[in-house]
Amino acid sequence: MNSLFWTQISAIVRIEMKKTFFAKRGLWIYLLALAPVALFFTHSMVEIHEHGARRQMVQKSARQLTERDLFSIGIGMSREDVIARLGEPPVSRTRNRRMRTGRHSSIIVPTEIMSYSDGNNELVLAVQNGAVTGIQKASGISLGQDSYVFAGVFQFFFLRLAIFFGCLGIFMNLFRGEMLDKSLHFYLLTPVRREILMIGKYLAGLLAATVIFSTSTALQFIALLLQFDAAVIAQYMDQNHGLAQMAAYLGVTVLACIGYGSIFLAAGLLFRNPIVPAAAVLIWEAANPVLPALLKKFSIIYYLKSLCPFEITLDPGMPPLFALLASNPEPISRYIAIFGLLAVSILVLLAASKRVRRLEINYSAD
Amino acid sequence: MAVYKRSYRPYSGETTPVWSRFLVLYRFSRRNLFRSKVQTVFFVICLFFPLLCLLGIYANSHLNAITFLSRSTGPFLDVNGRFFSIYLDVQAAFAFLLTAFIGPGLVSPDLANGALTLYLCRPLSRTEYVLGKISVLFITLSWMTWVPGLVLFFVQASISGWQWMWDNLWIAGAIVLGSLVWIAVLSLAALALSAWVRWRIVAGALLLGLFFFGAGFGRAINAVLRTQQGYLIDLSQLVSIIWHDLFRDAGEPPLSVSEAWIALLAFTSFCLYLLMRKIRANEVVR
Repeated sequence: MNSLFWTQISAIVRIEMKKTFFAKRGLWIYLLALAPVALFFTHSMVEIHEHGARRQMVQKSARQLTERDLFSIGIGMSREDVIARLGEPPVSRTRNRRMRTGRHSSIIVPTEIMSYSDGNNELVLAVQNGAVTGIQKASGISLGQDSYVFAGVFQFFFLRLAIFFGCLGIFMNLFRGEMLDKSLHFYLLTPVRREILMIGKYLAGLLAATVIFSTSTALQFIALLLQFDAAVIAQYMDQNHGLAQMAAYLGVTVLACIGYGSIFLAAGLLFRNPIVPAAAVLIWEAANPVLPALLKKFSIIYYLKSLCPFEITLDPGMPPLFALLASNPEPISRYIAIFGLLAVSILVLLAASKRVRRLEINYSAD
Repeated sequence: MAVYKRSYRPYSGETTPVWSRFLVLYRFSRRNLFRSKVQTVFFVICLFFPLLCLLGIYANSHLNAITFLSRSTGPFLDVNGRFFSIYLDVQAAFAFLLTAFIGPGLVSPDLANGALTLYLCRPLSRTEYVLGKISVLFITLSWMTWVPGLVLFFVQASISGWQWMWDNLWIAGAIVLGSLVWIAVLSLAALALSAWVRWRIVAGALLLGLFFFGAGFGRAINAVLRTQQGYLIDLSQLVSIIWHDLFRDAGEPPLSVSEAWIALLAFTSFCLYLLMRKIRANEVVR
């Protein structure tokens, strides 16, 4: 009997694969997954360009500068003082700036823009009438800083929005999409148990979601590392737990697909309009930190945040309500988190299997 | 009369004036709108907060008469630009949810069932069709945003005197203009998605995704590229910047008001373009 069930499940997965991976209706999910990849790729390209410009500046510099030299310059210093400390600027240009002197009068003041760099930091000075009137400092980004930014984007954008809405699109489409296409009755007329049909569809959706979003996570990580030298990457991967972090992000992505997938599969069986469950789950997940301890365990983000490799400290200027929603007051152990998430997903799937046994089709209502 | 004697005879009754023809669509759509109990209940819930504000304004001026609160010096609620800005924030969230429910069902059934030809073979232009469909959202959302807002404003004016009203007339303008901007953005986004996606329920989910995803991705752009330009794709933030300016809130917005206006104009123009591309009586399929 078991072999029959497995044969049926694999047949359903095979049929559903084409629908989940190549459906025209699901193309937006690829865009959703690729958007952060494009973002990190753009970031790396910008950083590579800026790093190249700084290196050229170092080569043109009259002398080797340090970070201390650059940060010793202050507003009001004379041009001669600046040149005495930093040497002739490797990049310099003059612009005429119009300055108001009265309500209807203005004068044109020539402004010299002088740029210096130590290879990592860049200092841009505005000099008017022989004195420094403006200072702009920019620093190159270290891999540590970038991995922290990656953690923030992963937790607050990729998990909560991209995977969330991606799973909504994939898993609600499994049953509701068939209803819209008026093709679900073909499945229901076959000698397959309804639970087997549901498991087959769930596994097909899970496969698609996992492949799409795990690939996106890996590509984001690769895009982020593009801007750094091979030696820096090797050190990060071997000594600074880079590989472990990447594995953790991939694991969290897979678990998120399992968790949200089960919820949206059940929602697709219960609701005709996906807005209702989507808004409800979104609010439930966002309100997780303020829920009582018992209710917290019935959400997906509670377990996922505990598995993320970085704890994101909140911006002190963040409004209190947002800070409350973004916080995770009591992280739990890794094993409990994995077990808890799988338990919640199985519970939801069991509830969905009860619903699917009593499923009746009314195409006209859709 | 025998069937063979029946022939085409043009309608000879009274016709609707050209200028208000689009409102025929509104009249019929409104019936469908309130046929659903859930939507009717939700619409009523949307009016709870204005009612609460009204009670707050009333209590604000009459609390001194109540003994146990008479110790307090001055009103407990400042009815000013900030008050109306918060009112609009709350009502805008309700308006968004209502649009997600009703917006996608306005155009998609006509396109999915090939019914557009039936509209356009009548003396109704494409522009009037779009205007008629938009008016459903425009009028419904007006009833829960700027109309109750103006009622609150005039109630406060009647309590505080005409001098208050004259001094704060700009607030009334801000309520109306701020609401109209939000309604225009919501209506055009909902109709464009409805026309292109065709599946009513998918269009609703996409509208939800458009606003949430835009906000999230905009913040991700800001964090990764160390810029503030990510807010340009966050529609709710753009509208919030405009409201910030209209209600004369203190503080520095992340983008300039002109940038916010330009971005919103570009977005609404794009939605209108998408809509007009789809609203055609005949579609040539190659």
